[in-house]
Amino acid sequence: MHINFWQAFLIGMIYYLGNSTWLAGVGYYTLYRPLVAGTLVGFVLGDPVQGAIMGATINLIYLGFISAGGALPGDPALAGTVGTAIAIASGITPEAALALAVPIGLLGTLIWFARLTVNVIFIHWADAFAEKGDTRGVMLINVFPPQIFLFIISFFPVFLASLYGPEAIQSAIQLLGGKVLHVLIVIGGMMPALGIALNMRAIAKSDTMIYFFLGFFLTVYLNLNVIAVGAFAVVAAYIHIILSRGGNVHGTV
Amino acid sequence: MGQSKKLSRWDVIKSFWLWMFFSHSCYNYERLQAGAVAQYMAPILKKLYTSKEDISAGLKRHLTFFNTEPNVGAIIHGITIAMEEEKANGVPITDEGINAIKTGLMGPMAGIGDTITQGIITPILLALGISLAKEGNLAGPVIYTALISACIIGIAYFGWMQGYIQGRKAVEKILEGGLINTVITGAGVMGCMVLGALTGQFVSLSTPVVLTVGQTAIKLQADILDKIVPKVLALLLTLGVLYLVRKGKSPVTVMIYIVLAGLIGGLIGLF
Repeated sequence: MHINFWQAFLIGMIYYLGNSTWLAGVGYYTLYRPLVAGTLVGFVLGDPVQGAIMGATINLIYLGFISAGGALPGDPALAGTVGTAIAIASGITPEAALALAVPIGLLGTLIWFARLTVNVIFIHWADAFAEKGDTRGVMLINVFPPQIFLFIISFFPVFLASLYGPEAIQSAIQLLGGKVLHVLIVIGGMMPALGIALNMRAIAKSDTMIYFFLGFFLTVYLNLNVIAVGAFAVVAAYIHIILSRGGNVHGTV
Repeated sequence: MGQSKKLSRWDVIKSFWLWMFFSHSCYNYERLQAGAVAQYMAPILKKLYTSKEDISAGLKRHLTFFNTEPNVGAIIHGITIAMEEEKANGVPITDEGINAIKTGLMGPMAGIGDTITQGIITPILLALGISLAKEGNLAGPVIYTALISACIIGIAYFGWMQGYIQGRKAVEKILEGGLINTVITGAGVMGCMVLGALTGQFVSLSTPVVLTVGQTAIKLQADILDKIVPKVLALLLTLGVLYLVRKGKSPVTVMIYIVLAGLIGGLIGLF
């Protein structure tokens, strides 16, 4: 079956909306998931039941999907929309759709990477409005420039992929394969260091810097997660405060 | 001065919805959710302060690095709003104090929040929806969407309002006892430790270099670096970046350095 212009347009819109800011904070939990996105793509293509089955199958690999600290381990929404669209259009089985969805989901991290990088420009615009005490400016900057940019980088790839089908997807993956994908993964792994360092600059004093190392060692040697380290941090904070008072538990020096 | 500046219940609820809608609108590598914090805080600052200088200082105070799980972490914003209200009424709370509370809480709340929302609730409800949808039942996606939305909005709303109500009392109590410096120090300790943990978990840098000494091949990462300190390259990278930003390099400059290092290192096979 052929996907026409308007169907491709709507599928592109589904992907943008799932990533966008317009769904009251639940978009990431609903339209971003292949189960929901796939059903809607099926609806657009005239077969919501088939869409739900495809979406549900693709969603299986993203059941334990967690994005944290600005890192994205794949893009369920891209896999869900494009995967379902191509699967229904080319009449392949849900399992074949699943195999197709994995590399598509990886490609989606490029969109995420572009978004988080370019949004840095807009946050600096917001600084300029904050300097003038312009609350309206700060509010508008947080919404419109980043959302317009997100629309461009999320709508069009999905629109074109739906329109031109599986061949285009395959060649795009091959084009980005090997070295290019590797370099992007390397940079993506290094990037969180910047956010952490900026935060450290704001809160670390010469006498609390050492706790940064304690937190790091607890994760790398003992494989503790952030919650566990948080629990230790409460104890460490207590001890630090007591010691800085000269060991007097009840003192207020 | 003199007359007290009170926020209404509606002000707090309005800021809640601003956060819900726009928390990740301008999500970025430099300051993550900072733009959204400034956005929900903007109408509150406008209500609390009259002079342009005070509003400007408030906006800048909240355009600093912030990142947490947005729903369970909503409690932090309730507390922050309560602190801003106290500050506007003449209670001596420093910018550093507000920042320390926010950054001290955001690490632990991110860990707890991601586990609860993304790690527990979402997979359970998804499993329900998927099992129905796989049989071709459209109730699957519909029920899933309704339940997860109710859970997420419910958790965030409860945390936001409780943070505001309890936070004000907590802040009052702290100030009466003159404990604010203790809290700032404690939050600083917790913040540093959690950032160390984030470095260990989310910064990744490793090398595929293999050294050949005589007949034996030694993997630089697995056989040498990991034996000394696991993830030592991620640690050194983070400390290096910290050194650069402390020296006054702009985040964008540092970002370009990172991209170049990753590009060159990745291409020549160093990383």
